[in-house]
Amino acid sequence: MTVLVAVTDTPEGAHALTVGKEEAERLRTELLVLNLSLTEFAPTEIAVASGVDVLDRAGREARDPAVAVLDLIQERPDIERLVIGVKRRSRVGKALLGSVSQRLILHSPVSVLAVKNE
Amino acid sequence: MLTDSGRETAATSSPTRSNRPSKRLGLIAFIATFGGLLFGYDTGVINGALEPLEEDLGLTALTEGFVVSILIFGAAFGALIGGRLSDRYGRRHNILVLSVIFMIGTLGCVLSPTWEVLAVFRFILGLAVGGASATVPVYLAEMSPAERRGSIVSRNEFMIVSGQFAAFVINAIIFNIWGEHDSVWRYMLLVAVAPAIVLLLGMLRMPESPRWLISQGRHDDAFSVLQQVRTPEAAQAEMAEVEALAEEEKLTQVGGPIDLSVKWIRRLMLIGIGLGVFQQFTGINSVMYYGTQLLADAGFSSSAAIVANTLNGLVSVLGITIALKVMNKVDRRTMLFVGFALITIFHLLIGLSAVLLPDGTVKAYCILVFVVLFVFSMQGTIGPLAWLMLAEIFPLKIRSFAIGVCIFVLWIANALVALFFPPVVAAIGIAMTFFIFAGLGLLALIFTTQVPETRGRSLEELEDQFRANYS
Repeated sequence: MTVLVAVTDTPEGAHALTVGKEEAERLRTELLVLNLSLTEFAPTEIAVASGVDVLDRAGREARDPAVAVLDLIQERPDIERLVIGVKRRSRVGKALLGSVSQRLILHSPVSVLAVKNE
Repeated sequence: MLTDSGRETAATSSPTRSNRPSKRLGLIAFIATFGGLLFGYDTGVINGALEPLEEDLGLTALTEGFVVSILIFGAAFGALIGGRLSDRYGRRHNILVLSVIFMIGTLGCVLSPTWEVLAVFRFILGLAVGGASATVPVYLAEMSPAERRGSIVSRNEFMIVSGQFAAFVINAIIFNIWGEHDSVWRYMLLVAVAPAIVLLLGMLRMPESPRWLISQGRHDDAFSVLQQVRTPEAAQAEMAEVEALAEEEKLTQVGGPIDLSVKWIRRLMLIGIGLGVFQQFTGINSVMYYGTQLLADAGFSSSAAIVANTLNGLVSVLGITIALKVMNKVDRRTMLFVGFALITIFHLLIGLSAVLLPDGTVKAYCILVFVVLFVFSMQGTIGPLAWLMLAEIFPLKIRSFAIGVCIFVLWIANALVALFFPPVVAAIGIAMTFFIFAGLGLLALIFTTQVPETRGRSLEELEDQFRANYS
């Protein structure tokens, strides 16, 4: 089996990456990282993710990050857990852009570990 | 090493063969930039046609702003739709369709019995203008080899202002010959059919963009196009480059609206939008669309105003020519700051001349000089610079979406200025209107301090700096 961590360009994303790595070690399984940000990882994130597979969003179909994650889970039946970072959002922010975390939690076919950064 | 030197000898030993593709490329650029020329002609032709049109169809300040600006609103949507269509059906196909829309739009405007019909066809014409703005530079960039790309694409910007200048000159000639005809504005508008016919007939014989063909998986077709526009040796070598560029192109489409939840990306987006909006809020297009009337208000007779207005077109061409030469030698921020400072000073001088000088020849000429200097400062700096900066401030993966949004907002800002300029001038006069522009210029100067310097810096450096400053 494989643990998938979806990492955004935020402190919550970085935290999710650390927790995802621990989770994979606890389950004694592979770790797969999906970089949802539009750039390379920051140096500390590269250090945490070193030695594991890192995928990037690619193509117009991945314009919506939630779709990119769900498509990947569909393609890879070995993925049995999804780790994401979550954060309280303002009502306005949610109304404008929607919540990627909420859609992932509701639509993911595998169990989701939602980590808060505190 | 071996292959490289082999290629050189092959190229030098057959000069005639290596010369023909370059000629063919020159012809392609010449024909395609008629798209840019039409863009300029159709936006500029209203300047000079407006006064006879106003009398013939009975326009008020409000309907006048409406008829002028609806073309620009059309262009905003034409740019959005045109970009999509050119990705799906190809650049050449798009330019051919555009040339037909240019003709239909022009003939519809010429034959309009009322201002309502005129407005409908101006909207259609606007769709073609926006479509041309989104397709022609892309086609040119994709046809030319890397080392000539910059100069061939900037030729399109040059053609846009040349189109406006040509429209001003031809309007002035037509007005001075047939000025007393009620329908003189119809003759002025009709001239724009000619370049549309050249574009249609010319593009029928031009090839499709090789990069687009590769994005559709048509590698053999792409190679045969490259053979037409490159030496045989260069064509072979360039296939790999074009394939890499087509891949990179796909990457630019990764990012979308949800990525705006990241603070530094949102910040860049606001800067891009600011560049577009402040470029338009200089009021440059109030001169390019209403220059003749502005000069008539300043004290020129109708026939003198339309001749004096050609100076606005001329300095516009001169300004762009100079800007394209110096743009890469001066820091972007410096050039923006100097541009906005000069523009604001000339706005104040136009306003002060209108308030303080007694009506008469001196006042008319003072306003003319300051308007011309304003147009020159604008086209010599911010005009082309804003476009260049929009192309280079965004991270690769969100570029397509981000630039699309910024250009849409830029067109809308352009349309709003065009819509409100006549009623505002009618209500508060030239002087107050230009004092408002000067106020907007001061805001633009403050905005400039927030713009990052992009000259000579890699995208990676910019991204790191932005992430560090704004997250």
